[in-house]
Amino acid sequence: MSEEYDPDYKIDLEKATCPNREQRAKGTNVYYGKATELIKDARAGNLKCKDRNFQQTSGCVLNFYLTVRVATIRDAAIIFHGPVGCSSSSLGYRELFRGIPTELGRPEHYELNWITTNLQQKDVVYGASEKLKRAVLEAQKRYDPKAIFILTTCTSGVIGEDIEGAVAEIQPEVKATIVPIHCEGVRSRLVQTGYDAFWHGVLKYLVKKPEKEQKDLVNVASMLSYTWQDRLEIKRLLNKVGLRVNFVPEFATVEQFEQLGEAAVTAPLCPTYTDYISRGLEQEYGVPFFLYPPPTGIRNTDEWLRKIGKYTDKEEEIEALIEEEHKVWSPKLEAIKDEFKKLKGDGEIEVLGALGQGRLLSQLPYFDELGLKSSAALTQDFDNLILEDLERLVNDIGDVDVLVNTFQAAEQAHVTRTRDPDITLTCPFQGGAYKREKNVTRIHSLRADPDPWSAQSGYAGAVAFGNFLLQSLDSTSFQKNLKRKTSDSYKEWWYEQPNPLHYLKEETFK
Amino acid sequence: MSIKEEKKVEEEVFDNTLGTEFVEAPKYSCALAGAYATTLGIYGLVPLLHAGLGCGLGQLFGQLYAGGQNAGGPVGGTSTPTTGLVEEHVIFGGEDKLRRLIESSAELMEGDAFAVISGCIPSLIGDDVEAVIRDFEGKVPLININAPGFSGSSYEGYELFFEAVIDQILEPLPKEKGLVNVFGIVPYQHIFWKGEVDAVKKLLDSIGLKANVIFTEFNGFEKLKEIPKAEYNIILSSWNGHRIAKKLEKKFDTPFITFPSVPVGPKQTNNFLRTVGEKLDVPTEVVEKFIDNEERKAYRFFEYAGDAIILVRPHSYFAVVADTNAVINITQFLANEVGYLPDIIQITDNPPEEYRDAIIKEITDKLETPVKPDIFFENDSHLAREKLRDRPFQFLFSSSLEAPTAMSELGALHITVGFPSYNRVILGDSYTGYAGGLRLMEDFISTYAGPL
Repeated sequence: MSEEYDPDYKIDLEKATCPNREQRAKGTNVYYGKATELIKDARAGNLKCKDRNFQQTSGCVLNFYLTVRVATIRDAAIIFHGPVGCSSSSLGYRELFRGIPTELGRPEHYELNWITTNLQQKDVVYGASEKLKRAVLEAQKRYDPKAIFILTTCTSGVIGEDIEGAVAEIQPEVKATIVPIHCEGVRSRLVQTGYDAFWHGVLKYLVKKPEKEQKDLVNVASMLSYTWQDRLEIKRLLNKVGLRVNFVPEFATVEQFEQLGEAAVTAPLCPTYTDYISRGLEQEYGVPFFLYPPPTGIRNTDEWLRKIGKYTDKEEEIEALIEEEHKVWSPKLEAIKDEFKKLKGDGEIEVLGALGQGRLLSQLPYFDELGLKSSAALTQDFDNLILEDLERLVNDIGDVDVLVNTFQAAEQAHVTRTRDPDITLTCPFQGGAYKREKNVTRIHSLRADPDPWSAQSGYAGAVAFGNFLLQSLDSTSFQKNLKRKTSDSYKEWWYEQPNPLHYLKEETFK
Repeated sequence: MSIKEEKKVEEEVFDNTLGTEFVEAPKYSCALAGAYATTLGIYGLVPLLHAGLGCGLGQLFGQLYAGGQNAGGPVGGTSTPTTGLVEEHVIFGGEDKLRRLIESSAELMEGDAFAVISGCIPSLIGDDVEAVIRDFEGKVPLININAPGFSGSSYEGYELFFEAVIDQILEPLPKEKGLVNVFGIVPYQHIFWKGEVDAVKKLLDSIGLKANVIFTEFNGFEKLKEIPKAEYNIILSSWNGHRIAKKLEKKFDTPFITFPSVPVGPKQTNNFLRTVGEKLDVPTEVVEKFIDNEERKAYRFFEYAGDAIILVRPHSYFAVVADTNAVINITQFLANEVGYLPDIIQITDNPPEEYRDAIIKEITDKLETPVKPDIFFENDSHLAREKLRDRPFQFLFSSSLEAPTAMSELGALHITVGFPSYNRVILGDSYTGYAGGLRLMEDFISTYAGPL
């Protein structure tokens, strides 16, 4: 039986939440091998989550993405139904977008609020539904929000809190729309389940039945690793052909969620982040979508724009735009490619990126476009939502080794050390893997970074990121000093044995 | 603790560090986070989180980055081993997973000892962590810290960590004259923790004493084991570390001296050194000679700030919204050494009821100004913000939460002095001692300094 993703899969909004990625898309938390093998194994249904005897903290359904970003939704209140520690990672809420100058389009006045139900020993014994209801009433009174999101936690899950019951009971008493998100950490090994759980709540409670069609509106789900400059570039391009962008969910208003169903198309930045909301909007309101390609690199930005053009009847305008943009940006990208060539002579510069599933699809073609070689890539997890796209990618740029490892820092350090690429593109979730003799930079900026230097999307981003990578080749002192002068996290034998998946509980895949 | 042990639960409900109701953005994390941060402060220990998949990553953002924008170091952040409990463990238990994690971690990671920190899930499902740990006796040095998030705040985690160490690791040792332990500084949660322990150690060294500050010493596990050798325990907090001191007194007969907080500036530091010197029989002339020298130098340097203070922002009103330690030492320094006027004080760390009167008394009784500040215990960041509106203060000393809107909303210059501190990186800085007072002056004067 083929294990390809079922194109007829129906999102069931009658249900309280989405299925886990493990079930919906046969997701896995571990793999090391050729992409072609990964595709074959996925097709044969061989992929499943496995246990590790040595494991490192890597994020859960709630505490990877949702806690650090959902609390930036404007005119909403977020309630974390759990002990105080589950939401301490939301403490950056007020500061996250404040660093963006108002000249770059940040509104001056806005309120962000989140509260924790602060579950304690007596609550876990006697239950905390009443406390949750009081918190909802208090949030309504204090903040007068348009929506109240309730995010669940392991503790609320394990003690068996009836969230849906509590919501049904309290909704008539508050003006704000209550949006329960079932994101308890224990429910899934794959953090991407958190995206789906969030979108499920949005689709079920927040998106309104369209009152009108907005043929010039493009939905773009933009997550934490895409910067403010990426937004500006996307806006710039689409505005040029008379289109508007609806960026959700980070720093969006509740109204922006409500009108998701009126848009002409839902376009991706990160395909797997956007998957559930895109499918849901098509299924419920007929909003078409595409998941590939994201607008990373010049080639893929062209394609991304063309697809949007198709759904918005702007095909001619888009072709004219592409032509005009190429005149500006293509020579700049060519210059960067020449620089890379000069740096390595006849050889190739080898790049190892710590990517998510989405960036696997977006960055590898971009590196290829720059003339950089990626013979391997690290990815957080993998599911068959991207099977076909991965296949296309392998056809385009050749086979690569893929380590699927949910940010296991020891495994990443092993792969980084043994493969010893020219540049490793790290993110903060890699422990000490940045300590090395060769070059290190980051895969993406992590927050609402307003610096054009950090952009990666669209044409301006393709050039900015290329220059950024060039710049990284001139810098080794920080990582070199720390490699030499500080201790490694692991004993030396770890690097001397060949298998990064040494601690996988069962026999590893071939 | 399993759900079944209801009786025990009821007794423990009271007097915790969490408060009783829902709260907006409290300025601390949970007990697991505090025990984790404390473990990371002791070099040579490796934390093993017996907890959910995201507990460690959550605390990387919410305790470590928030604690002065610090990374976790070689065994923190995503380097931290965890059992990563999911649904199947909730059903079948997490003990086997913990056993395998201890084995593999001891094999793979450099560490003198491993601290097993158990969070909410093992408590709720009734894992017998103690039994698992017993199996490793004589094989892997382990500390068992039961710190479910719902049992208390980060501050509670600090106490739980040391209580576990005292119960499980420490043995009586002959006392060493002139040796003191220092408690009351909670790593990451007290954002200047690294600089504070370092400065306190140097101050005590200057009057001929030896301080075991435990944190940031490279032989941290040895330092832990040396705790019973101390002649005295010095507690630099109005409430943190008090339980530890009492337990050590009971078990090892070590007396303790309590200070309201870490000393900032000459006046507080003089008092600190004189009190310690007296208790530990340091010759008065040694203490006084050091004080005289340091104080003279510090005030000579104060003079350089004279024009900027007097000409631009003299006798200004200020507000402090921070943990007890920071509230006390900053308020006293500004009021008693800079001539600033305390307008409103909000204490954010939720000290247990029994300590609150003493904290208020400590702030109000020692002020060298007739101005009496309004003092609140407020752990809710929304309510704290509301209380700041329409007041005369010109400076706001608080967490970075208030930084972006302090000027536009409250008309105040902002200085980050407490948790969370995302906008201020603290690698080794502190306001401790004579030099620390000067550092604090640099910080607040720099918010308004310009051409005169």
